[in-house]
Amino acid sequence: MSKMMTVDILSSIKGAKESETVNQLFKVIINADTNSNAANNVVNAVSIDDLREDIVINSSKREKEIIIENFPKEKNGYLVVAKVIEE
Amino acid sequence: MNKEISCTKLVQEKLDLLKSNTHNTVNSLLEDTALDLAKKVDEKIKKGQEIGLLEGIPFGIKDVYMLQETYTTASSDLLKNYKSAYTATAIQKLLDAGAIPLVKENCDSFGHGSSSENTIFGAVKNAVNSDLVGGGSSGGSAVNVAKNYTIFSIGGDTGGSIRQPAGYNNVFGFKPTYGRISRFGLMAYASSTDCVGPIAKSTEDIRIVLNAMSGKDVKDQTTYPSEIISKESILNVDTIKTVGYFKNFIESDAISSEIKESFLATIDKIKAKGIEVKILDFFESDTLVSTYYTLAMAETASNLSRLDGTNYGNRIEGENLKDTYSITRSENFSEESKRRIVGGNQLLSQGFSDEIYLKGLNLRDQIANNFEKDFKEVDIILSPVTPNTPPKIGESLKNPLAMYLSDAYTVGFSLGQLPTLTIPKGTATGLQITGAKTQDELVLKFANFLNDTL
Repeated sequence: MSKMMTVDILSSIKGAKESETVNQLFKVIINADTNSNAANNVVNAVSIDDLREDIVINSSKREKEIIIENFPKEKNGYLVVAKVIEE
Repeated sequence: MNKEISCTKLVQEKLDLLKSNTHNTVNSLLEDTALDLAKKVDEKIKKGQEIGLLEGIPFGIKDVYMLQETYTTASSDLLKNYKSAYTATAIQKLLDAGAIPLVKENCDSFGHGSSSENTIFGAVKNAVNSDLVGGGSSGGSAVNVAKNYTIFSIGGDTGGSIRQPAGYNNVFGFKPTYGRISRFGLMAYASSTDCVGPIAKSTEDIRIVLNAMSGKDVKDQTTYPSEIISKESILNVDTIKTVGYFKNFIESDAISSEIKESFLATIDKIKAKGIEVKILDFFESDTLVSTYYTLAMAETASNLSRLDGTNYGNRIEGENLKDTYSITRSENFSEESKRRIVGGNQLLSQGFSDEIYLKGLNLRDQIANNFEKDFKEVDIILSPVTPNTPPKIGESLKNPLAMYLSDAYTVGFSLGQLPTLTIPKGTATGLQITGAKTQDELVLKFANFLNDTL
């Protein structure tokens, strides 16, 4: 798909446009010097030796009830959504 | 706790103060559960049972933390009726220690702001002068502590959101090393710098609450195990020989003369105590602010993409699914949140990501490298919290660029993931004390020393 997506589509926000204020921040980054020797000091990756157990933990009954309470539209305990396949 | 006042009476007093306050600090009160918990503490005291340090202590929670059965709105229209299904790890640890949550506190919507004006609950008013902003994004939390409505509050700090409101309201606020406290149950803004931290009236209270919340959590795999910080360990400052400060923070045109002069006077007092002070070079403020906002916008655009009104939130039906998404998001996000989401999607899109996002990551690495180099030369870095005193309510909303630039002194330490404490002394908006990664104890130690010295 070569179609260029605009920021309103990318953001799912009607009529969204680029902000001049934000563009000013980006200009500073574009004009900044990069250093190819900068060691990657900010590492948030998790070691594979330290992964949590791959098991399913069931939510409590109350947690499930609240999740259903939070449904914007509910019918017989199920979440109602708009038709998904449409294009 | 002093046995002369019952826990129930203490909690009721605080609830009354919160209810009648005019600073817009409250999103919702947790009156019934707080009084129930207080009664249980009183029964324990009556029976002569031992109670813990935090047992019966009333506290506040920034309204971005999950606490089961309470509304967690992020001060937004989108989640104004959202009920927490579970409880954040940090908050659960405080509950387990017996602390009593009183209030979900007003803040900038999704943490997007530095003044707590970007909220559906009305701008938070400064504790000292109600014409001024409370700071942000944890403004309600800092004001509640400053006004004694809560004994401590739990804020969230992504680029300064604990430290700046603490400075604006003359209280202590601590952003620990990234990963010291679990983020599980904190609504994500920018995951790589989001930190949970306490706001309180003393370093001792900060220490106690920090200890209670710290530790590895399997639900947040960026957490690391940490040792308890003892009361005795932070009393002796002998290990701190050298302090540094950034020349360009102080020689900047943006800093007020009042803050500059009081900061330099503080440096003189530290020198007079026999501690060596080194002047350090650092990145320009506009580079720090732009790097932080670039990465934070990219992360928040990604994190908030889940908020589309499908499973929860204030859904507004459109003609079809995509229309429903976009109307829901257009109508329910604030202008500031939309600005950040759109900016984030713009910089992550094809053609921009190499030029902006990857370059931003490179700058972040350079900033972190700079810190690593600095901490080979100094034990602590000292800086002002903000270049200026708090603005009047309404000013920040008119000039978002000025608001972003006001974060110049806090965002660098977030990018470096360093432990940083605001202490309400030394300048009109306090001082920041920063240590190397995982040196949270050293930061508290120096805070005690400064507290006694200034």
